[in-house]
Amino acid sequence: MSEAPPSRSEVAEKLAEASAAGSPLSPRGGGTHSRVGHPGGRPAEFLSTARLDGLIDYTPQDLTITVEGGMPVDRLSDIAADQGQFWPQVGAGNGASVGGVLASAASGLSRLRFGPIRDSLLQVVVATGDGRLVTAGGRTVKGVSGYDLPRLMTGSFGSLGVIVEATLKLWPRPPARQWYVRPGADALAGGRALLRELYRPGAVIVTPEATHLELVGQPEDVVAPQGFLPADPPDRPTGDALVRAAVSPARLPELIQALGALELSFAAQLGVGTCAVGVESAHQIQKVREHALALAGHAVVEDAPAELRRDPWGPPPPGLRIMRRLKAAFDPAGVLNPGLMPGGI
Amino acid sequence: MPIAPATASAARFRELLDPERVIEHPLERKLYARDGSITEGKCGLVVLPETRDEVCRCVQMASELRLAVVPRGSGTGLAGGAVPLDDAVVISLARMNRILDIEPEVPCASVEPGVLNLDISMAVSHLGLHYAPDPSSQAACSIGGNVATNSGGPHCLAYGVTAQHVLGLEMVTADGEVLELGGPAPDPPGFDLRGLAVGGEGTLGLVTKVCVRLTRNPPEVRTMLLDFDSVTAGAATVGGIIAAGVVPAAMEMMDQKMNVAVEAFVGAGLPVDAATVLLVEVDGTPAQIAAEAALVDAVGRKHGAREVRVAADEAERQLLWKARKSAFGAVARVAPNYYLHDCVVPRTHLVGVLEEIGNIAERHDLVIMNVFHAGDGNLHPLIAFDRRDVKQVERVHAAGKEIIEACMAVGGVLSGEHGIGLEKRDFMSLQFGEVDLRAQADARCAFDPEGLLNPLKVLPAGSRCGEVALSRDSLPPGTWL
Repeated sequence: MSEAPPSRSEVAEKLAEASAAGSPLSPRGGGTHSRVGHPGGRPAEFLSTARLDGLIDYTPQDLTITVEGGMPVDRLSDIAADQGQFWPQVGAGNGASVGGVLASAASGLSRLRFGPIRDSLLQVVVATGDGRLVTAGGRTVKGVSGYDLPRLMTGSFGSLGVIVEATLKLWPRPPARQWYVRPGADALAGGRALLRELYRPGAVIVTPEATHLELVGQPEDVVAPQGFLPADPPDRPTGDALVRAAVSPARLPELIQALGALELSFAAQLGVGTCAVGVESAHQIQKVREHALALAGHAVVEDAPAELRRDPWGPPPPGLRIMRRLKAAFDPAGVLNPGLMPGGI
Repeated sequence: MPIAPATASAARFRELLDPERVIEHPLERKLYARDGSITEGKCGLVVLPETRDEVCRCVQMASELRLAVVPRGSGTGLAGGAVPLDDAVVISLARMNRILDIEPEVPCASVEPGVLNLDISMAVSHLGLHYAPDPSSQAACSIGGNVATNSGGPHCLAYGVTAQHVLGLEMVTADGEVLELGGPAPDPPGFDLRGLAVGGEGTLGLVTKVCVRLTRNPPEVRTMLLDFDSVTAGAATVGGIIAAGVVPAAMEMMDQKMNVAVEAFVGAGLPVDAATVLLVEVDGTPAQIAAEAALVDAVGRKHGAREVRVAADEAERQLLWKARKSAFGAVARVAPNYYLHDCVVPRTHLVGVLEEIGNIAERHDLVIMNVFHAGDGNLHPLIAFDRRDVKQVERVHAAGKEIIEACMAVGGVLSGEHGIGLEKRDFMSLQFGEVDLRAQADARCAFDPEGLLNPLKVLPAGSRCGEVALSRDSLPPGTWL
């Protein structure tokens, strides 16, 4: 079952009805982040934003764009590219929607240079679980008026509301930008050296087989270092399921060594602290998590079949009491992805 | 149940802290009744905890006694966020001022909330690092206060405001619970409470430790001063530079009135006959500097820049920045008081809004000076006045409201970096509808259901869950609402 209302007010109405009837709903954008969280938290009935895909406002000179939540990331990228601009905090779209990548806080590979996706959201309009349309933040590139609900909504996985509109901060496209690769198992030492030597690279990503590097800037600065060849960005680690481990960037080398010993496929973002790990079993998830926790980090099951998501989040995060109150305030009937989030929220 | 005045509770707090760290003398309390804004409140008691556990116990005591709590850093805030009302207890975090840990490998630093912004950068400069957000008050303002207001500064144009530089927070909630939110490991599971807490203006909790992201110093910096015969030409240059694909590290504008005041104060060789000057800084690799500086120069000259002065060395660069950051101090030469706004407008509306602000000044017979973060459209129109002149104060009120309305009319927001506090509180309904404000109140109540933390701040009357005990009558005379 899936409904795709054609307007934000109809999204809100649908939610109000669901709340009144107590029938759970799962908001859905491009469906690229739907294998996340407690499996019980994905009601069978979808509320799709596919028809909410309009461009609302784009003033290139302000470097801000406002779109409806269902707009595909790829289309937004094309619109921005026509004006020599881009949304650097997000990865390639593959059918993902703007609202969907925001709701799942899916930051792109160039996070080392451009920061996480939550830094790019200026204003958000959400349809809450009980069908209110709430606007928060502002459309200007800078603003601290009121509480930062845009950050709260980023990474809330559709459990507080449906993102029906987003204003994003764009950046001018740099004159040059290129990915490189250097095969070889000494990736970690080499990668750490790059991080010290290069000024603000786009990404330094270490896998079991290679070092991947993205350079961004003036053509004179985008030149392959010794031993590197131009290449595509690194592939997703192999494995039916993906775990996202995160530790302090200072401790990432220890995690990489531990993962190497487990012979798992991974892609670690040096200087950021996140590491995507390909896994096949609950046992492997457990091992990755044990290592991440031992390094004062965490490991979240990001994309996996239901049977591997019995414990998708790991130990409960601090502030659960506050999180429960937030859930109750934004989705009082508990119809939006109930139980998906940590602590059964 | 009404909130009680704290004045009579000194003995109870002395059960928790050394006697000299509980301040009840009326004269001393009066010092804590103000911050960097023009509002004066009423402070019932001041306590000076030195550890997180002491903060917890003070908050628990306040909760037990039903006292309103106002957290305070250095008190440099410009929106009245640290002004106590109704004889509230002020919890000053100024004595928690240790830098706890520096991790160059991340790079980040863990600091207590009372550490001054600039002291962080000074403590890590030998590592080639700095803390990026740089408010004009950076030599005096505390990091805890920066977190509370989500502070900005000139270099936030390229590097982002405080929220982008806070990796983790340790926070004491209204009921005395200690929360560790975030840290150097990114994206912790669950809702982003850290992100929500930054900019909470002391209404969500008391920050007792901050893990700040440090930024690598750029290999090279070039600072340029461009001057123009008209404000329009300066503003057009700002738009032209962004449109040409360059986001400088900083892009600041000062109008003629401000130049004259600053030049008399600092002596930086500013062109006092220019209608406006633009201070533009680019940083990065030598190739980046060369390309971006050439572009800034070309766009400036195309729009009629009379001169493009390039800082020859670090000393000259520091002098130009000193001029910019002394602007608010220099106003004392013009009038004894100033009222500062902080609206942000879309960059494409800069020219129109600046003209309108000029008209407003004329209509109300006031001196309005402009110094602001032009690159991100963050205006700081500053109304110079003398608060002893009652008639003039009335005109200042009226002009301030019109400035805000003019900014809102072109799609602007109330505050770019100072926060809402007390002074902009009742303007919130110009930017947000009733439903939006209720959602914000809900978020606040999730942290502080009893409404004891910094009551009456940020949200307008009527939108709070815990405010039944307080009324507008409790505001002191002269409060600007």
